[in-house]
Formats: sequence, C-alpha cells, structure tokens
Amino acid sequence: MPTQSPSPQPVFQRFSVLHRFLHLVVLVGFTGLALTGLSMAFPSQPWARAVMWILGGPGNAGALHRFLAVVTYACIVVHFFWFFYYKLVLRGPWTGPRSLLPRKQDFIDMAQHFRFFFGTRNTPPKFHKFSYLEKFDYWAFFLGMNTMGLTGLFLWFPESFSRVFPGYFVNLAQVLHLYEAIMAATLKIVLHVITAHFRPSVYPLDASIFTGNVTAEKMMTEHPAEWETLAAPNETSVSSAS
Amino acid sequence: MEHRSSPAAPFVFVRFHRALGSILTASAVLACLLAAPPAAWALSDPASSWFVDMNRYSRSAHASLTCEQCHGGMGGDESPHPDERDPEFLKVRATRRFDYAKCGTCHADAYRRYLQGVHAKALKEEKSPENPEASEKGLAPSCGECHSAHYAAAGQSRLETGLRMTEVCGACHPAQKQSYLDGKHGRLAIHLKSDSSAYCSDCHGAHITVSLKEREQALTACSHCHPRAQENFTSFVIHASMEGIAEKGEDKHRTVVLIHRIKSIAAVIVFLVIVFFFGHTFLWILRELHEKLRKQ
Repeated sequence: MPTQSPSPQPVFQRFSVLHRFLHLVVLVGFTGLALTGLSMAFPSQPWARAVMWILGGPGNAGALHRFLAVVTYACIVVHFFWFFYYKLVLRGPWTGPRSLLPRKQDFIDMAQHFRFFFGTRNTPPKFHKFSYLEKFDYWAFFLGMNTMGLTGLFLWFPESFSRVFPGYFVNLAQVLHLYEAIMAATLKIVLHVITAHFRPSVYPLDASIFTGNVTAEKMMTEHPAEWETLAAPNETSVSSAS
Repeated sequence: MEHRSSPAAPFVFVRFHRALGSILTASAVLACLLAAPPAAWALSDPASSWFVDMNRYSRSAHASLTCEQCHGGMGGDESPHPDERDPEFLKVRATRRFDYAKCGTCHADAYRRYLQGVHAKALKEEKSPENPEASEKGLAPSCGECHSAHYAAAGQSRLETGLRMTEVCGACHPAQKQSYLDGKHGRLAIHLKSDSSAYCSDCHGAHITVSLKEREQALTACSHCHPRAQENFTSFVIHASMEGIAEKGEDKHRTVVLIHRIKSIAAVIVFLVIVFFFGHTFLWILRELHEKLRKQ
C-alpha cells in the first residue's frame, strides 16, 4: 500500500515498527553474543584479550553472554507470538509469494541467480518480497537461535541436564555450540551484512530495516515481482511485513 | 546535479574495494578463529639438580634452613658425598638419590597424602631391588620432581601456583595438559586467569593424585564446585582428546571417539556452508560490479 510522503517519490512500508525494533535488539544481542562467546572460546587471541579487558574478566563476559542470550531469545519468542497476531488479527496469509516460507520458485530463482552470476543470463531473477537468500538468512537465524539456545542451556545448567541425560552430552553441547557459533558469526557477515548492505547496488547501507520504508526505485530493482503486484491497480496487498 | 554520473567509475571501484576489504577481513577473522591457541607461558624451574644457586636459594621459601637440616652432615655414613671418580657420578638425577621422607618432617600431611597416591605407588614399584635401571632412572615422581626445594617461592597466589602446576604436571602428562587447556576449565583458569576455575590438583588432589577413574571418586571431585551434580554428571569428559586414548577406560574411549566424530562432521558441514556462501556473495558482487561498469 503506497503511502504518499511530501516528496513526489512514493514510499512503501517494508518492515513494521515491531520488526524494526526486534531487528535492532537482535543486532546488538547477536553482536554481543558473538564477541563475548568467541572471546571465551579463543581466549589466547589478542582480540579476545581486548574484549576481556574491556569487560573486566571472564566472569563479566559470561554473565553478559547469558544476559544477551536471554534478550535475543526473547526476541525470537516475541516474533513467534507475532505470527499469531499476524494471522488472527491482521488476517494475513501464512503462505503465498509474500510469505517467508520456502517455495518451489525459490529454487528456480536460485538457479537463475547463479546463471546470472556466470553471465549465461542477462538479468537477475525477479524476486518477490523476500528473495531465496533473505529467506535462508531468516530461517538460519530463527532455527539457529533455537539450537544455540538448547546447547547453551546445557552449558549453563550442566548439573540439571545431566540428571536426565548422560554427562557427555555436555561435551557434545560444547562442540555443537562452538561450531554453530563460528558458522553463524561468519554467515552473518558474509551472507547478511555484505549482501544486504555492501553489494555495489546497495552500498553503503540499506536503511529500510531501520526506517521501515523502501522507495519505488528500490522496489523495482530489488523486489520486482512484489513491485508488479503493488503497481497493478486492483491488487490488494497486506502492508505489514513479516 | 549534472555531474552526477561523471566520476562514477572510480567511485564504484572504491566501493568495491571496500566491500572486498570486508570479505578479506571476514576471512582473516575466520582464519584467526580456526588457528590453535599458542601456549606461551614460561616454565620457571626444572626439578632440583646437583647444583644449587645460593643467590636464588636465599630468596626461596626454604632460605631459613641450613643445608644440614635436610641433607645431614656430608662426612658421616648417614649421607655420604657422591664419589667423583664413579663413572655414574652426576648422571643419576639428584632427585633419585635424595630421601624425600625428610620433607615429611615439616610437611607431614602432604607427605602422608603423597604416600597414599599413585605417584608414590609407581615410585615404590620402580625402586625395587630387582630392577636397578628403573630404580635409578625411572620417571615416577617424588617431592623434588614437582617442587623445587631450593628455589620455590613462598606466598604464591592460587593463580601463580595453578599456572606453574599446569606446566609441572604437563611435563609428564602432555596430552592431559593440552586437553585441559582446550577445555572450559583450562581456558578459564589459565588463559583468562580466573582462579575460581579448577586447576589440576582441585580435581586430582594436591598430593594424593587420584586418577578419578572410579565414578564415586570423580563425583566427589566434581562436587567441590558443582554441589548439585549427580552420578551421571561424571561421564562428562574433561580430557577429551584422542591423544593417549589407549589408556582410557572402555566407556570413556567410546565417548571420546563419539565426541571426535561429531566434531569432524560439524567441521565439514561448517566448512562447506561457509565456502558456498563466500562463493555466492563473491560472485554476486563481481557480477553487480560488472553490470555497473558496463553501464558507464
């Protein structure tokens, strides 16, 4: 739903206030978790010493890590409940091209995107509201935070968990928590930060997650399939994002 | 506004180089993460030797003692001076010749506990008359192997003792030292200098040195810091390295192999995922740059 701003260029709302807020909290939480966690995992590295010096020792780093974990996971919980609000109050669809659920079209888009990379295709595929990469990024985080939370709980309360499970599950939790952390932190830089903000066509920053708005020009280049449905006169669309 | 498009080409290059810089930074970060942490603290003193630096001795915890108080008179039969014409002169470690029961005169509790532990048992087996070779050159430790009677400083903090202990115990148990340093206890205690974590003797005992293979013993050790721990808790593997795995019990052997296998699988998955998305991002940037330059 285009909302007219004072400037002649129409602006579209891409992210609601709640999602912008959650993104900000998760941005701080995830960065803090990565910094404190990786500093405790690789404590002999100079950058880890710097983090420890700033935080005033491993006791504080551990406490901050747990606090940020609770805050970040709270965002996941809020987001989860928002789905019900979206479905029951806003009457939005859970499936369809505008949703975050993976579709057959995403695999076609991905194949076409790779053909575009290698030059056997002249234009990028027409992405809808969320490209296959944005969907992967979303689900990687949403599911990843749950598995990180689970292994993290094992490490937080090893005595309680070892009442039910064998003690060496704590060993396995250590392994999985560390490897997933390395993967998550790397993907967050390579997949999220660089492709969302540093690609030549969006550099230096795609501000839509902070302002909530997207210009028509951006819609045409980044989300052409969505732009077509919005531009069509009799098409109705749900303006709230997911 | 009319100059908008003219300086675009170098500008795009600057942008691209910044993006490339980000990728390189990310790669460097990853390389740092995967690098093994170096062990970089110095071992201050080896075990006692035949010679004593009296300057250092005079600053040590034992400085108030005279030589005779530990070594007896050199003249009598009690403790004869080594014969310098003997071909084995000075070749046997000094710590093998000294009777460390003497330490028990002042450190009675420590010596009594030492006698109950596995180190003392191993030493007793080595020092049997049937096997003179092991008796003279064996590796089982007595007091002097771990403690420097001549140079040990007094009033060491828990952290200082712990740092040194890791080196001293690690000299004979290198695999255990490494797995301890890789584990949470070692990372906290040694790398992060947090003395609320556990050092070797906090679990294995200072002088009694138990191996903790018995579950009940292990639970007692864990319970010092984890009072809510129950028997299951003890199957957590502290020294979870493949090195020296042959000496481990059957259960622990199986667990360590499982941990190692899951670690390998996780490493492969993480590697493949990262390589795929590095490639994806890199190709995307290249292609967009190509498009931008073509439009100039």
